[in-house]
Amino acid sequence: MNTLSIKITYYIIFISTLITLSFSSCKKKEYIYEVNDESITKEGVNKSTLKNNTEFISMVYSDLYGTTIPNAKLTNLSLEYDACGDKELIEDLIIRNLLNDPSVQLPTKLYMDNNLDAFIDNTYKKFFNRTPNEMELWNLKRIIQEDASITPEMVYYSFLTSDEYRFY
Amino acid sequence: MDRRSFIKKIGLTGAGLIAAPYILPSQRLFAKTGTRKVNHVVFCLFAGGVRNFESMQKAEGNLMPNILSGNEGISSDIIGGMEILPPRSGLALQNYGTLFKEFRYGNGPTGHFNGHTSAMTGAYTSTELNIRERPSAPTIFEYYRKHNSTSHSALNSWWISDSLGAYPALNYSKDSNYGPAYGANFLQPLSILNFNTNNFTFQGYAELAHPKEFNVSEKASINKIKAHLDGFFAGKYNGIDGGITNTDFDRDRINTFINTILTQANAGAYNNPYGLTASMNGDLYNMFIAEKVIQEFKPELLVVNMQSIDVGHTNFTEYCNNIRKADYALATLWNTIQSTPGMANDTVLIVAPEIGRNLNPNSLMDSFGRYALDHTGDQTSREIFCLMLGPTGIIRQNQTISSVAGESVDIVPTIADLLGFYDDIPLQYRQQMGRVLTEAYV
Repeated sequence: MNTLSIKITYYIIFISTLITLSFSSCKKKEYIYEVNDESITKEGVNKSTLKNNTEFISMVYSDLYGTTIPNAKLTNLSLEYDACGDKELIEDLIIRNLLNDPSVQLPTKLYMDNNLDAFIDNTYKKFFNRTPNEMELWNLKRIIQEDASITPEMVYYSFLTSDEYRFY
Repeated sequence: MDRRSFIKKIGLTGAGLIAAPYILPSQRLFAKTGTRKVNHVVFCLFAGGVRNFESMQKAEGNLMPNILSGNEGISSDIIGGMEILPPRSGLALQNYGTLFKEFRYGNGPTGHFNGHTSAMTGAYTSTELNIRERPSAPTIFEYYRKHNSTSHSALNSWWISDSLGAYPALNYSKDSNYGPAYGANFLQPLSILNFNTNNFTFQGYAELAHPKEFNVSEKASINKIKAHLDGFFAGKYNGIDGGITNTDFDRDRINTFINTILTQANAGAYNNPYGLTASMNGDLYNMFIAEKVIQEFKPELLVVNMQSIDVGHTNFTEYCNNIRKADYALATLWNTIQSTPGMANDTVLIVAPEIGRNLNPNSLMDSFGRYALDHTGDQTSREIFCLMLGPTGIIRQNQTISSVAGESVDIVPTIADLLGFYDDIPLQYRQQMGRVLTEAYV
């Protein structure tokens, strides 16, 4: 073997080593953390059917009173609902009137403050028919804890007038 | 930058800053025409099907003494069915404007909803309308809110209906160039008040007049929670069918208004608000609340209807009695307009039935021996009248046009012309309307 052949052989070995090293250095390490997988999809993607006015009124009533709405009440509220062109306005008016009824079943503020996780979980189940995800739970908990003036009534009102509540 | 270009840029910036607040949502700086004849128009659909025999031709005497001059007595055989109403005070309304005695509902089925739709869109409908759908052609409210040059607030346009059914759908159309963003506020007062004849109470008061009130600080907290909830939801809700929306400020005003009328009704103030010997019917109640809307909001465009006259299908004498009540209601509407600062002498009131009634009666006889009248499309059921009242310098006073002139589809372009935006309506829409009723102008 002449000198040129040896040089070429060494050169090929050198280049191969470089290529191998460069590939191995680019290999991504996979880290596994001890948390559960979380969906980043927005909630309610499967809720796309708008409640009609009768369904909406019936559900607001049963969610607040824990009982089915009497027929006469449903007829009256449906008439009043149809009689106003700004639907968000009349919905808000109906909700605030029902909320102001002393016979509505509302948790106390003391209960809410002392059982915040359970309160939030139950409120999601009652109005949205689902449990909150970790992010929702954490965020709503933070909002309530940072604002001592928030009452269960205000939370209920927020849920009843939310976008998600209008769909199923 | 040289001195000249610096001055030019400063000038353009200054002009932009000055003009910005006046740029309309329609991306136009000013409306093309801008010349308003008046700043308010009230359109009253004297509806329910009124035949010209009983109205203009006074076949049963002068059943509309507040509108029409003359003291012709009511037919003796039906006089016993007439309730007592206050006599006319002052001149008949026809003295304050132009009366088209032979107006026409020219095309389409002679149904109430078709008649209303044609009058409120300016376009005839050739087929029976699907009452579950909004009209195809834009309504006068949408033309007004999209093209007028003063204000786009929904508080400036109202549709006050005597009934529900299909009528709430007339506050905006399904035309994709217009729609709910330009719709009117709709109110059907009788159902809001919701009078319960069993216990003589206003159910509306019990159900809507005691809302939970949140203070400013509480509202701010609620908004934080709502932002959280809506932020995690993929959908968006905007009214049951993407209906009209008001600003928060305007909503507060409407809420206050509704609460006021409910409270006043519950206190007994609406039991007999006009102090009549005659009983209050739906038309009188509807007009009474429309007058409240006028006094509270001074709308630039308000449409109100009356339809108790439609009892004519079964009871001719009561039909005549209700024509008289509608006539009385119209007089109170005119008096309210003329006594409301901001609207007095700056309002045109247009009055027209939506359809007439058949020449020949049906087989139903009332207790006075008179046969009832339907409206099934004969020529007589297309013969109506139109009255335009307004300021002396704008509307020709004490003018009666007895020849056949004007159609119900002429009312929308006339309103647009009175409020100064007719030329701003795109040609494709103007072509499907009638014409401006210039005969009534000075």
